[in-house]
Amino acid sequence: MNGTLFRRGMQTSWKITALLAAVLSLYISMIVSMFDPKLGESLAAMAESMPQLFAAFGMDQPGATLTEFMANYLYGFLLVVFPLVLALLLVWRLIARPSDRGDLVWMLSGAQGRLRVLLSQLGALVCCQLLLAVYCAALGAGCAGAMFPGELDLPAFLRMNAGLFGLQLFLAAACVLLACLFGEMRRGFGVGAGLCALFLLLKMLSDAGEKAELLRWFTPLSLFDPDGLLAASGSAAMGAAVLYLGAAGMLAAACVRFCRRDLAL
Amino acid sequence: MNEIEIRGLVRDYGKGRGVFGLTLEVEAGEALGVLGPNGAGKTTTLRHLMGFLRARQGSVRIGGMDCFAQAREVHRRVGYLPGEVAFPDDMTGREFIAFVAGVKGVHGLGRARELADRFELDDTAKLRKMSKGNRQKVAIVCAFLQDAPVLLLDEPTSGLDPLMQNRFVQLVQEEHGRGKTILLSSHMFEEVERTCGRAAILRDGRLAAVQPLDELRRSRARQYAADFASAEAAARFAAGWPGAAADGCRVVADAGSDLPALLRALSGQPVVSLAPCSQSLEESFMQYYGRDAK
Repeated sequence: MNGTLFRRGMQTSWKITALLAAVLSLYISMIVSMFDPKLGESLAAMAESMPQLFAAFGMDQPGATLTEFMANYLYGFLLVVFPLVLALLLVWRLIARPSDRGDLVWMLSGAQGRLRVLLSQLGALVCCQLLLAVYCAALGAGCAGAMFPGELDLPAFLRMNAGLFGLQLFLAAACVLLACLFGEMRRGFGVGAGLCALFLLLKMLSDAGEKAELLRWFTPLSLFDPDGLLAASGSAAMGAAVLYLGAAGMLAAACVRFCRRDLAL
Repeated sequence: MNEIEIRGLVRDYGKGRGVFGLTLEVEAGEALGVLGPNGAGKTTTLRHLMGFLRARQGSVRIGGMDCFAQAREVHRRVGYLPGEVAFPDDMTGREFIAFVAGVKGVHGLGRARELADRFELDDTAKLRKMSKGNRQKVAIVCAFLQDAPVLLLDEPTSGLDPLMQNRFVQLVQEEHGRGKTILLSSHMFEEVERTCGRAAILRDGRLAAVQPLDELRRSRARQYAADFASAEAAARFAAGWPGAAADGCRVVADAGSDLPALLRALSGQPVVSLAPCSQSLEESFMQYYGRDAK
């Protein structure tokens, strides 16, 4: 990794990361403050009246504990979508756009080698994703500790966050790989972004009802199982491990492809 | 010893576009101009030399190293000015120059400041707000700041005003004088004429000729427009000078390599004024290749 390129990557990315962190701060603090076992009963009643809509957004089981409540209302949809938006924006800004616009030429002609250039960009991408994930987890735990002392099952909560980060890495890696595979990186990025949106849609449909449950096998989002991770289920841990391994494999493949491909700069 | 070696390079983009069997050598310390109209294959050739494109056939080497497989080592020896200059939007010229210096591992920005002063570049403005000429100046500063022994310059004066074009030519002449190997692509004959000792002419992705500039200069048409006192005198002169054409009182005559002969022929005529005709690259090509040049 090259320090100058990494710093430049962070400079390109921090504002978006901070903006999304601010938006999520609002959601996280608001939703944690909403936790109330009695409110949970009324939400459960509401969910019964609109089961498919609640299920589509992963909010079909309010949960009896604060940790389950957070898993349901934050980790089912919001904390999947917003970090995904961040990943897409950063893959575009750090990898696809420099190639598309042509300013990648200055990075590559600096005698750093293609691999080091890409690793520097990926370093900034993963670092920003990690910062957002750590911030959200810390804010969630902080809000829970301040508003409902002793209610949060911290080890389970951290397991769930670790699984979520694996999912974010996996989706970002898929986008990076597709960008590197296509002749024009922006087209590859477009396909990657579309695929991520499709995965999200399939997950929502599969959660919405039994008829579409089969669709869960066609989206990697099913590998992230917040409830299973809270319950320390082996299959949920396996799913998270697959996400991490898949992300590492795709990033490695992207590096190989990037080093061998033609670049019309 | 050859610093740059291109042997049998092929890159076929289809529909006759690309580079086909290009072989070209540049000796260490030599300045070679690559001339050709748009689409002749100049930029494609330079992209291979920078290792951005992998040679499908043939080999491309700088300093004996394969430009694709050993791109990192090659880039240590090369200062590159791309033909299409692109920058990030959010940086000022100064920030960008410092960034490129950091990526290249250049310590200190003294050379960059010297170049910026030379080109009267105000590098404090945001790159997106700069004129094309100023953006080109930033690119020139970035290409020259690491004092590389090899310079690859793709249409380097694009967007520069004539004064700055002159300064750039002086810079290239100085660098050449310091022993740098230079490959300069251009579609401006004059630019190559003033900076290079040899010129390679590309046509439709193929090498049409490689010649010392002196020979090319000699073969280039030297045309002059003479205004006569009367149309009859103009027509009379045109009839007696090979290749001359009269248009009213004006005659355009080719002096070839013997300008004194034309002047002698005109000396006894009722000539009101005499001026050289500027010759575009296309006209130079037409002259050099005849009708097949297009």
